[in-house]
Amino acid sequence: MSRQLGALVATHLFDRRRSVWAWGIPLGLMSAFIVAIFPSVESSISKAVEGYPQGLKEAFGIGELSNVEQYLHAEMLSLIVPLALGYLAVRAVASGLTGAAEAGRLDVLLSAPVSRTRLVAAGFLATAVELALVLLVTGALTGIGSLLSGAGLAAGPAIEGFANVWPLALLFAGLGIVAAGFSLRTSVVTGSVAGALVAMYVLDLVGRLDPDLSGVRYLSVFKYYGNAIEEGIDPLAFAGVTLVACLLAAVGAWLFERRDLAA
Amino acid sequence: MAAETAAIETEALTKRYGKHRGIEDVTFSVRPGEVFGFLGPNGAGKTTTIRTLLDLIHPTAGTARLFGLDSRRDSVAIRARLGNLPGDFGFGRETPGRQALHLLARLRGIDGIGRAEELAQRFRADLDRPLGQLSRGNRQKIGLILATFHRPELLILDEPTSGLDPLMQEEFLALVAEERDRGAAVFLSSHELDEVQRVCDRVGIVRGGRLVAVERMADLLGKARRRFTVELADPAGAERLRSLPEVADFELAGNRVSFSAGGDLDAVVRELAGHHVVDIEATHPSLEEVFLGYYDEREAG
Repeated sequence: MSRQLGALVATHLFDRRRSVWAWGIPLGLMSAFIVAIFPSVESSISKAVEGYPQGLKEAFGIGELSNVEQYLHAEMLSLIVPLALGYLAVRAVASGLTGAAEAGRLDVLLSAPVSRTRLVAAGFLATAVELALVLLVTGALTGIGSLLSGAGLAAGPAIEGFANVWPLALLFAGLGIVAAGFSLRTSVVTGSVAGALVAMYVLDLVGRLDPDLSGVRYLSVFKYYGNAIEEGIDPLAFAGVTLVACLLAAVGAWLFERRDLAA
Repeated sequence: MAAETAAIETEALTKRYGKHRGIEDVTFSVRPGEVFGFLGPNGAGKTTTIRTLLDLIHPTAGTARLFGLDSRRDSVAIRARLGNLPGDFGFGRETPGRQALHLLARLRGIDGIGRAEELAQRFRADLDRPLGQLSRGNRQKIGLILATFHRPELLILDEPTSGLDPLMQEEFLALVAEERDRGAAVFLSSHELDEVQRVCDRVGIVRGGRLVAVERMADLLGKARRRFTVELADPAGAERLRSLPEVADFELAGNRVSFSAGGDLDAVVRELAGHHVVDIEATHPSLEEVFLGYYDEREAG
């Protein structure tokens, strides 16, 4: 990593150091709570799930809830964590581009011999690290919750479950960079990408509920998300989504290089 | 001997934003060791010109070369040699100046923050408080240090003294003179005419996105009309001064006549020679008067 890139990534991470705790701790505590209560709700939950309509169970990826891993997936990893991390990703990447433009920082940084592509790359890399750190904090707190409650969460599957969120969230960082190629307003970038995040989730849901519409799932990254805590990480999907995220970042960098950074 | 490469050289530089005007056909050059003032009211196109030079915005037509390099193609190499203080300096509310300096130093490939400590003492700038806790003037000092700590060959300063107290404005003008003396070129955009008059070698006047004049400061002031107040022993016949083509704004009050005159003053002196002149006072106009006159003239034209 070049000295410039290293300096920019380190600065970005330092500026967003609070975000790791601000997002990691609430998500981790929530996950820990879910894991911790599982032993006491296990029997009633299993009965309740048996009564759910089959379509509903398929739509939300609810299978048997006979172990804590399945419960953690249903309650946290199928919806809350991916949506939260996807939104965090676009906020993080926007802070280094549109946020920096709004604060006047971009003008100062671009007075130095730094290319815009390098600035974008630094924002993307720092976001990738930030997401990993948030997942680490969330996973660690979940593990602590399991240990304290004796819920018996298996470490390996849990790590895979949380790690699998990373490429999905990173894809929205890539989309955020593309959006910054069109607009330097943070509200526009975060709003549009958050909209895309929700739209992709809904498309995947619709595709699951109606077999005739299953084709629309190809428009959603959630199709490739799966259920890593139970089935393990799909290496092809993991690498593919990461690659698409990087390609989106590259396209965004190309757009950002060519746009006017108007006052 | 090879011709000296201009620090800045623009040729018909134009930037349009759809239907909105940016700048049009802006052509000028700035030599090393020269302080060039870029004068105009808000919205005249000063910042657009600067942002185009820095490749923050791309020209619609025309070219800009800095140190002989193309502003677009060689932007990174150019920025290694310049320092820039943006018009509305900001860096992030929580960042202390020292941290920003260390980052900029690393981005420039410099070990340490050079003469920043010395400049901080000189400008009484606090490098350790987050920028969000500083007043506008104190933030501006940090911006000035960031722009100058690495001894650039070209300084681009957009409204540099906004927010600075008079003492610090003096210190700033001294710094600009020192930078010029060591051979740096300074491009100073301002509507503070007094500071431009005191420190600039040449000025460009921008109006409505067009550069309407580029003059040496001395020439600009020399061309301007001067104000005369003459006390006569006997004002009879003084009205004849009013009819001279060089004379304007003629006023007669008691024994005292006052008028402005420009160009060749021979006819004025000859007319006054026919009177017993008790006292005479000639006042050179400030740049402000020249500048406003320039604007009035153009608008009338």
